[in-house]
Amino acid sequence: MLLDFHRLGGLKWVLVGIGLCVAAFLLLPILFTVALSFGSSQWLVFPPPAWTLRWYEELFADPRWIDSTLTSLQCAVLVTILSVGLGLLASFGLVRGSFPGREAVRAMFLMPMIMPVIVVAVALYAFFLRIGLGGTLVGFVLAHTVIALPLAITSICNALERFDKAIEDAAILCGANPWEAKLRITIPAIREGLFGAAVFAFLTSWDEVVIAIFMASPTLQTLPVHIWGTLRQDLTPVVAAASTLLLLFTLALMLVAAWFRGRTK
Amino acid sequence: MTSVSIVERGGGPPQRRRRGGGGFSHVLPALVLLLLVFVLPVLLLLLRSVTEPALGLQNYAELVESATYGRVFLNTFLVSAVVTAITVVIGYPIAWLLVILPRRWADLLFGIIILSMWTNLLARTYAWMVLLQRTGVINKTLIGLGIIDEPLTLVNNLVGVTIGMTYIMLPFIILPLVTTMRGIEPDLLRAAALCGAGRLDAFRRVLLPLSLPGIAAGGLMTFVMSLGYFVTPSLLGGTSNMMAAELIAQLIQSLLNWGMGGAAAFALLVLTLALYALQLRLFRRAQAGRA
Repeated sequence: MLLDFHRLGGLKWVLVGIGLCVAAFLLLPILFTVALSFGSSQWLVFPPPAWTLRWYEELFADPRWIDSTLTSLQCAVLVTILSVGLGLLASFGLVRGSFPGREAVRAMFLMPMIMPVIVVAVALYAFFLRIGLGGTLVGFVLAHTVIALPLAITSICNALERFDKAIEDAAILCGANPWEAKLRITIPAIREGLFGAAVFAFLTSWDEVVIAIFMASPTLQTLPVHIWGTLRQDLTPVVAAASTLLLLFTLALMLVAAWFRGRTK
Repeated sequence: MTSVSIVERGGGPPQRRRRGGGGFSHVLPALVLLLLVFVLPVLLLLLRSVTEPALGLQNYAELVESATYGRVFLNTFLVSAVVTAITVVIGYPIAWLLVILPRRWADLLFGIIILSMWTNLLARTYAWMVLLQRTGVINKTLIGLGIIDEPLTLVNNLVGVTIGMTYIMLPFIILPLVTTMRGIEPDLLRAAALCGAGRLDAFRRVLLPLSLPGIAAGGLMTFVMSLGYFVTPSLLGGTSNMMAAELIAQLIQSLLNWGMGGAAAFALLVLTLALYALQLRLFRRAQAGRA
């Protein structure tokens, strides 16, 4: 009755109404930002008096936007490689191993996800200042990998737990050595989990602000840090243009992920 | 099935021994990274909270006694509680809708939720900064509709923080609620109807109690996440009503007061972990109840 859409009666329309309002609430800021990025008014008048590409031109003419984007990309790619590599190895240990304290280790890997990011950020800030990693790409990559790792490990562990190890054993029985069996049987079988881990790790690093704010130096910053700095000065439409490009990027990633999921099914 | 038993009989004991040693070495690289770049720095920060400026608990004493810090933590609790309440009230019907909508519409609504969740946090916060301005679209629309005469102050205060945080937290409550509501057997509601329960009775006595574990777990998670948020409160909030994360950042980055900053960070950390443990227990009980 209550869980059957067609037998809800009038209540159905109440729920649908709330659904439409919430969908509008969720989409409003996104659509608004896209509209503003093409608007001619510097004072963010809406609806804008005319349409222009001026803010995008400003964006691409400013080396700080380009540099910070490149730093972000570089960092996110390295974080993805490290997280998936370390996560894959660790997941094999967690799912298949039986060493003492395994559950404790598993819980510890998830810790960075539970902790308030500000605490991690401040702790790393102090530590990296002391050992000279503050304001370096290595510092960014290490810090982001620590918070991307829990997501990567969760995704890969899930895939590995669903995979029947007997298939890998069968390959070994058929003459493959253990490495070959893992490489040619197990890894292709859990590719969806690996891909999920890669997307999560990439987006975690790409979108991360709090740690990056503390890690950045005047000469090296990621895109979110640059947006943050710009926003603290004024609400220029250039930020709307940058946000729109970020949105397109996220959409593209989501579509690739959906396509990939469709293909592996 | 036969191949499984052959493998297990054939390679049983030696394999188990290899597994025991091999497992840990696989975990080791990630563990070392975690210890060096996470555990050690956090412990060093805690150490500073009891050693700077002098050995002792004076930082914690000040944290408890000072009215300024008290107000920051009060603000944090207040905003987190209000955000949690609003997200539960809005999120519940949405989760319900997602469970019962025909596939195509449910997928569309899911897509919108996921898209907003993955849109860059700063981009979303920027949008709210612009929307909520004195001359922003929201104020203009309200004046245009004749609902208000003077523009409302919607940013640089806790109202702005609450709106921005609600927006960001909404997906985080909807998704766990959907999981809980999917687990509810529709037959139970059919049975309630057969026994003569009306819609209201069936909701109040069957659907709501059965989704309560999801509400509790999701609500607690929203509350915990709100407590530690930094970006949205510092962009949408004002200087006079700081939240905990901003206080920590300011103590350390601007005031260079490592002792106090460490103490505030530790307080936030303990609070978060305690609430998280509670949430884990609620969630386990919810799962046990279902099984």
